[in-house]
Amino acid sequence: MSNEMITDAAKEAMDGFEPAESANEKKQMDNMLDFDDDPLSATGVSRKSLVIFFLIDTSGSMKGKKMGELNTVMEELIPEIRKVGEADTEVKVAVLTFSTDVKWMYSTPIPIEDFEWARLRANGVTSMGAAFKELNLRMSRNSFLNSPSLSFAPVIFLMTDGYPSDDYKEGLKELQANSWYKFGLKAALGIGNEANDDVLAEFTGSADTVVHAYSGGQLAQMIKIIAVTSSQIGSKSMTLSDDSGREIGEEDVFAAKQKLLGQQIQELVGSKVEANDVPFDTGW
Amino acid sequence: MVELEIGQEVEMEFGGSAQVLSVIGSGGQGTVYLVRFNGMKWALKWYDIDKMKNPKAFRKNIETNINDGPPSNKFLWPKYLTKEMPDGTFGYIMELKPDGFDSFVDILNTYKLEIDPLTGHAVKRDIRFTSLTAMITAVINIVNAFRQLHRAGKSYQDLNDGGFFINVNTGAVLVCDCDNIAPDGSNFGIGGKPGYMAPEIVRGIAQPNVQTDKYSLAVVLFKLLFRGDPMEGEKVVRDVCLTEASELKHYGQNAVFVYDPNNASNRPVRGIHDNVIKFWRIYPDYIKDAFIRSFTVGIDEPSKRIIENEWQKMFIRLRSEIIMCGCGRTNFTSMFAQPTEKTFKCPKCGMEFTSLGFSNRESRMPLFLGCKFYDCEITPESDDFTTVAGELVENKLKAGMLGIKNCSERTWKAKMPDGEFYDITPGKGFPIWQGLEIDFGAIKAQM
Repeated sequence: MSNEMITDAAKEAMDGFEPAESANEKKQMDNMLDFDDDPLSATGVSRKSLVIFFLIDTSGSMKGKKMGELNTVMEELIPEIRKVGEADTEVKVAVLTFSTDVKWMYSTPIPIEDFEWARLRANGVTSMGAAFKELNLRMSRNSFLNSPSLSFAPVIFLMTDGYPSDDYKEGLKELQANSWYKFGLKAALGIGNEANDDVLAEFTGSADTVVHAYSGGQLAQMIKIIAVTSSQIGSKSMTLSDDSGREIGEEDVFAAKQKLLGQQIQELVGSKVEANDVPFDTGW
Repeated sequence: MVELEIGQEVEMEFGGSAQVLSVIGSGGQGTVYLVRFNGMKWALKWYDIDKMKNPKAFRKNIETNINDGPPSNKFLWPKYLTKEMPDGTFGYIMELKPDGFDSFVDILNTYKLEIDPLTGHAVKRDIRFTSLTAMITAVINIVNAFRQLHRAGKSYQDLNDGGFFINVNTGAVLVCDCDNIAPDGSNFGIGGKPGYMAPEIVRGIAQPNVQTDKYSLAVVLFKLLFRGDPMEGEKVVRDVCLTEASELKHYGQNAVFVYDPNNASNRPVRGIHDNVIKFWRIYPDYIKDAFIRSFTVGIDEPSKRIIENEWQKMFIRLRSEIIMCGCGRTNFTSMFAQPTEKTFKCPKCGMEFTSLGFSNRESRMPLFLGCKFYDCEITPESDDFTTVAGELVENKLKAGMLGIKNCSERTWKAKMPDGEFYDITPGKGFPIWQGLEIDFGAIKAQM
């Protein structure tokens, strides 16, 4: 006997048992029961998602103290970003490393609650252009940005200590055509004297969102400042100030978050310059 | 901004100093620290005055609020100001959030992340209302808190999901972040979040006031009951990426309610907005109509928004329409069949419930073991929705006999099966029977 027949039989028995029930009332009662009608059983409110991309230079020149600092601060950073996302945005992290080859730490973006930092090693040359191309490929609705609900524009954070060894301009040109990149919050950190701030500003689109670290202490501070600030701004709706006095248009809000990020990074960086730290490039 | 160091002493305006113990959290306007002052623990909110348009006026407003005192005990109100630092930086202290309250954000997420201090791993703890009565009581409390605030001539300005704590067992509510509260009509430069802010603020054509608070209140209530965003449907999801321009559009210039009866362009999407789709089937029409009004005509005409007193009456009625059936199903009468004008029937188990009609309203209150009614339901002009006036109980001496117990402090009259009215003094009761009539004084009820 199939399950369906049992159900039918049970229904017949019920019908026989309650003959007084009007057809109308029965229909009404069936309507009330054809779904989970518990007013207290809800799933979480659909949250917006935010992917934070870290693009990290793992070329040979990063070996030693720089990579040590970077690995340590990234491990410490994850719990801090977790606090940022827990409110109304689901934050995911994706890490792309570039040296001779370009490689993702994990094959998909990982929710911040579950993210564990896999320590990186440094080796090889600086294929930044290839990294831009790979990022462009993955920043797509069909790939890493496939959340069914709404997304905030991604945060993209580039860290490097040297000049690109491949044609970064070609990669950047591809990336610049990507809408996620266009609306994304971009920031970059140059590490040591070799990193070229102009290249980084080309990547972020403005000098405000580029900072430079010359020492281990600064490196840790700058990574935290940029990562926390950009994920705070990226994971929330834009903040409105009410002093415009006239109707706001699309042009007023264009790249509002990127501008805010630039301001906040500059404020925070300005207040944290430590003179006594030993620069990466001295003392050898 | 000037950050405080752990252990630092912050001088208070009227003497003494508060010692900084730890950081509680930080937000758009500054950082909140745990401090010790006068042997007690307090929360200290310390401002980033660089982000303020006019710190002097802001401080003056807090001072006024401190002097006025909170509109009721539902507010975590500023208590004392600190002295100003040489650069003008200042803060204020307030009481700590008591235990047993969860943030509105965590309630909406249905869980809270608790971080294991040793490993740094995050563990999820479920957060949900333990009863339907507690949830609707929370709604009444929120509405009532804003009614009290607005009656005091003030507006909250920055109403959003970070502003409340709720006890999920009792429905008690605490309104926090009270430092932006200002006399209606003035504003000290608080920004806001699209989604909670009234569309006219998002568009930049109005400043926060009592009318915009009413819009934000409707959003908060919608989120609590329907567990979704009233303006986020198909039209918004199609944008995929929520850029600044799309927020301006969907929450300001072209906000469309997901259940606008005259505009189906922004309906909830199955798979994303399942909560809203489900709960829209459950709530009675008078509740849905109030939200439709808030989010359709109420978008462009602030004066058409639902006033707090109307919400309060509606939700007191909704709470009285909850049935806890013996089979375990708890729901509103709108989700029960109504075989006759005066009875409700559980569609799951078939159990029938009689009801009580009151002289001051049309809706009927279903009767079941343990159901309660409150002072505001039997006393005209009473605002007391927490004091239980009566409860349906089983007679302790006659098993199986159900009756209503007078839990109030007044004497009622009830018609007994012998056809005579008897005085029912506080603590006494009377059986429920077909011809029952109750005289509460100004309000009467009958089966």
